[in-house]
Amino acid sequence: MNLQLITLEVVVTLIGATILLGSLWLPADKRRHLPLVAAAALVVLLIAHCFAMGVDTTTTLHGFGGGIVQDGFAICLKRLFLASAAFVLAMSAPFVERLRAGPGEFCALILFALVGMLFAASANDFVMLFVSVELITVTFYVLTSFQRHETRSLEAGAKYLILGGVATGLMVFGISLIFAGSGTMSLREISKLDPLPNLMLFNAGLLLVVAGLGFKIAIVPFQLWAPDVYQGSPTPVTAFLAVGSKIAGFALLMRLLRHTSRPETGFLLDALAALAAFSMIYGSLCAIWQRQLKRLMAYIGISSAGYLLIGVIAMAKGFDGTKAILFYLAAYLFAAMATFTVIGLISKEGEDERSEILNGLHKRSPGLALTLTLSIVSLAGIPPLAGFFGKFLLLQLLLEMAVNNAAYYWLLGIALACIVASLAFFFGIIRAVYWPSDVALSRATAPAAPIPTSLPLKISLAICVTGIILLGLQPDVFLDLIQETVRAFRWQ
Amino acid sequence: MAPLALIALFLPLASAVAIALFTRRNASVSAGISIGASLGAFLISALIFNQLRGATAPETLNPNWLSIGDFKVDFGVTLDALSQLMLLVVTGVGSAIHIYSWGYMRADRSVSRYFAGLSLFMFSMLGIVLARNFVQMFIFWELVGVSSYLLIGHWYERASAADAAKKAFITNRIGDFGFLLGILMVWAALGTINFSSIADIMKANPLALGALGTGTGLLIFCGCVGKSAQFPLHVWLPDAMEGPTPVSALIHAATMVAAGVYMLCRVFILFTPEALSVIAWIGGGTAILAALMAVQQNDIKRILAYSTLSQLGYMVMAVGLGGPATAMFHLTTHAFFKALLFLGAGSVIYALHHEQDIWKMGGLKSKMSVTFWTFLIATLALCGVPPFSGFFSKDEILALALGHNMPLFVIASIVAVLTTFYMFRLVIVAFINPAKSDPASHAHESPSVMTLPLVFLAVLTIAGGFIGIDKLYEVALGKTELGNHTVAMAAGLGAFAIGLIAAWTLYANATADSLTTRLGAMAHWMRDRFYFDECYEWLNRWTQELLATVADWFDRWIIAGAGVKGLSLAAELGGGLLRLMQTGNVQTYALLIALATALLFWRYIL
Repeated sequence: MNLQLITLEVVVTLIGATILLGSLWLPADKRRHLPLVAAAALVVLLIAHCFAMGVDTTTTLHGFGGGIVQDGFAICLKRLFLASAAFVLAMSAPFVERLRAGPGEFCALILFALVGMLFAASANDFVMLFVSVELITVTFYVLTSFQRHETRSLEAGAKYLILGGVATGLMVFGISLIFAGSGTMSLREISKLDPLPNLMLFNAGLLLVVAGLGFKIAIVPFQLWAPDVYQGSPTPVTAFLAVGSKIAGFALLMRLLRHTSRPETGFLLDALAALAAFSMIYGSLCAIWQRQLKRLMAYIGISSAGYLLIGVIAMAKGFDGTKAILFYLAAYLFAAMATFTVIGLISKEGEDERSEILNGLHKRSPGLALTLTLSIVSLAGIPPLAGFFGKFLLLQLLLEMAVNNAAYYWLLGIALACIVASLAFFFGIIRAVYWPSDVALSRATAPAAPIPTSLPLKISLAICVTGIILLGLQPDVFLDLIQETVRAFRWQ
Repeated sequence: MAPLALIALFLPLASAVAIALFTRRNASVSAGISIGASLGAFLISALIFNQLRGATAPETLNPNWLSIGDFKVDFGVTLDALSQLMLLVVTGVGSAIHIYSWGYMRADRSVSRYFAGLSLFMFSMLGIVLARNFVQMFIFWELVGVSSYLLIGHWYERASAADAAKKAFITNRIGDFGFLLGILMVWAALGTINFSSIADIMKANPLALGALGTGTGLLIFCGCVGKSAQFPLHVWLPDAMEGPTPVSALIHAATMVAAGVYMLCRVFILFTPEALSVIAWIGGGTAILAALMAVQQNDIKRILAYSTLSQLGYMVMAVGLGGPATAMFHLTTHAFFKALLFLGAGSVIYALHHEQDIWKMGGLKSKMSVTFWTFLIATLALCGVPPFSGFFSKDEILALALGHNMPLFVIASIVAVLTTFYMFRLVIVAFINPAKSDPASHAHESPSVMTLPLVFLAVLTIAGGFIGIDKLYEVALGKTELGNHTVAMAAGLGAFAIGLIAAWTLYANATADSLTTRLGAMAHWMRDRFYFDECYEWLNRWTQELLATVADWFDRWIIAGAGVKGLSLAAELGGGLLRLMQTGNVQTYALLIALATALLFWRYIL
């Protein structure tokens, strides 16, 4: 028992419980402030974790029978989770009117999902892996269908439940095969086993676990749920699904591969390279046609997962992929959070978030228009913003890998082509924001009134924009910071 | 000495900057600053000359002014007899014209802009004169082009002036392109772009440039063809007369157009005999072509412009015949009398309220006596009448041609006949014949701010041949081997007599040009400049049209069609097909996931 390893998880759980209790005692009209209270609590917690709690990022600590580990990588990820949950709670604040079921439960569920993500960052055996994944997934079953009066929200929840159940089934079956093939649930012990008692069973189990995690991070061919669920879920939930849940999946995948990568399991990297290529192609091509903004974000997320897989493969092969992945994730976090915040602000209740709602945004709210543009530009990977540099770092890794294995040049070519193709959606959005066609304008029924934006949201958007710009212009600063944190973190 | 020379160089720049930044609204202060800078530069030049007397000053320089890899450029000044004299010519004639401008441009709306341009020009021109390497020279070479552009287009509201400015700039650009290539070839072959190092290398080994020697020389000569308006790039100079007359006098007669000749003399050692003979023939060809065109012009400034072309042809021919000292001597005397001619023409134009057609003038001899007499002195100098300065320099050129190339001597003599003919056509029709228009009969002499520079230049025109300018150039550039002086002199004077008699017979008391009818079609060809402009225009239009069509086709069908549209179509099609997978049906999704997992199993595990 080493409780200090799970301080964050405990504190976040306590915050969630407090919010639940608070919503019972608070008068109804005060409850709508709960998301902001929770967000503020998370911000304080994040700042404290960074500066005040004396967290040592350079040592690796194990606890709970090896099930929990705390190292620089886990700490980095936990901070990203805290930040993304804070952003999501902040954007939930103007959304509470649409949540008939009450803001208290909504916030608490988001916080409990966050606890799952925090555990995922530290999970070091298959039990923790499964528990954290399920903690995330089960809370999201509820969150996706939280607007129960809306059919599309219910549909999203049902789809997520059924397909998530399939993925969970695959994963549990995979874990049992791994246990059968290795005789242990601990990732550390698996990495020390040589040879593996039953390689065939182990490999089959590994593939199934990767399939289950592939559902979380939405890579081809486990991506099909993403557009439908993204579209139907309440926008803050979509944001959390797109950022938090995806990062958690990657955290688990990376830790899994860290301990299981060995020559006998090399097939998995080939498979992941193929899936990366398909994800990039699928995401980029589908994004071209997509005019529904949340579906568009799903496709952007799918192609992003493809790019990130490059880093995962590089990491598993012993290259320094962690930095590139963490950088890309941070860039993706800021841009996606800003985009979802703006989408949430612009769309009205029950309205489908098609790109027409952006028409003339530039005239209505120039600030929001600029924020959205910067985020989309960053997501498309155009210099000098953060997204560009994230892709650049990943492609650099690919180039290093290609030196030893020419097959990676194919992946490089595909990645480059996909980056070019993804420019298409970017132009569509910019055009709608700044130069809507007259036809589109005349079809717009909404009065061109400015969109009211509360101060916390303005701050949240300003942080995102600053992050996007700073990460792009001064990547070295952030990379050094990551380096500092993951210095002691070696994949061996 | 070098710091002094640098002061002289940067005074006009300071003046241009000061005018542009601070005194734009105050015309007289701007004029004062600019005139002061010019006079200051003149005084410094005189001081330098007085100290050195043609001796070469030791070089001081900033050795690493610009360095790109192995390519190092230093910044410094060359002070030998050549640059000292050229300094005096540029600042002296320049100062006279600055002062004259204050009278001529007084009524203009943007006097400050005009003087800023003049100062910028003085800076650039002095930069060329003082340059000690090709890069430094090229930079100022381009700056001269810019200031010329600004000044030709001074009255930019007039479409013709704006077009002329563009034409001058673009035509020069063609020549400069060759010049730059030439500089690069010199650097590639010799590894240096410093004039003194080039001279040392070439002296030690005349074949140092190797097989490309002639080509390199001709590329360098391209710069001169553009700047000094030699055939086939001569077309911009007559149009440049759209600028104010003092500008024509300073830039397009006395100094800038002579920069090409100056540059040839500066690097004379680079040229192979073959290159020199091409240069000589281009010069001779330009001289006769321009003289023929001048015969049928009616605009007083255009006549002088063609005369300038023709005289520049003389100078270039002299360089080509191996007489850089002779060329520089003629350049100097020409600067005096041609500036005087232009300023005289300006005085006439000013008095006649911007009338430039000589057939609408007349009777100015008595009404504008200072202008007339100085103009006549300059004309006689141009025609090579002793004892005026032009006689000495022209005589040297004729003697040079006689000694080296007989056909060119004949051409030069014919040019001399034509020169006298068209100049006296101008003098007789504009000054001596009775007045033919209302403004001409009411003309008054110009104010003394304009006539004093005329007198100053007239003194130089008269004295220029006696004060040993030619000897000083010979110190710098070596003595020129001349042919028989007596024959040359006889040819020159004979040419003058023939030209004068012909002009007098045809034009005394004439009210219209009878030569036009006598020459018939030939006269049209001369007046329309042998249709060079039309030819170039057609060529330009045709090539541009062709290029544009090809580029358009390429862009439309290859880049946009096959490249952009094809790719985007493929991408959209792919996206559309992939979208079909996204049915929205959970059962389908679950089935697809199961199938995909099975596929992965089959591919990687079994």
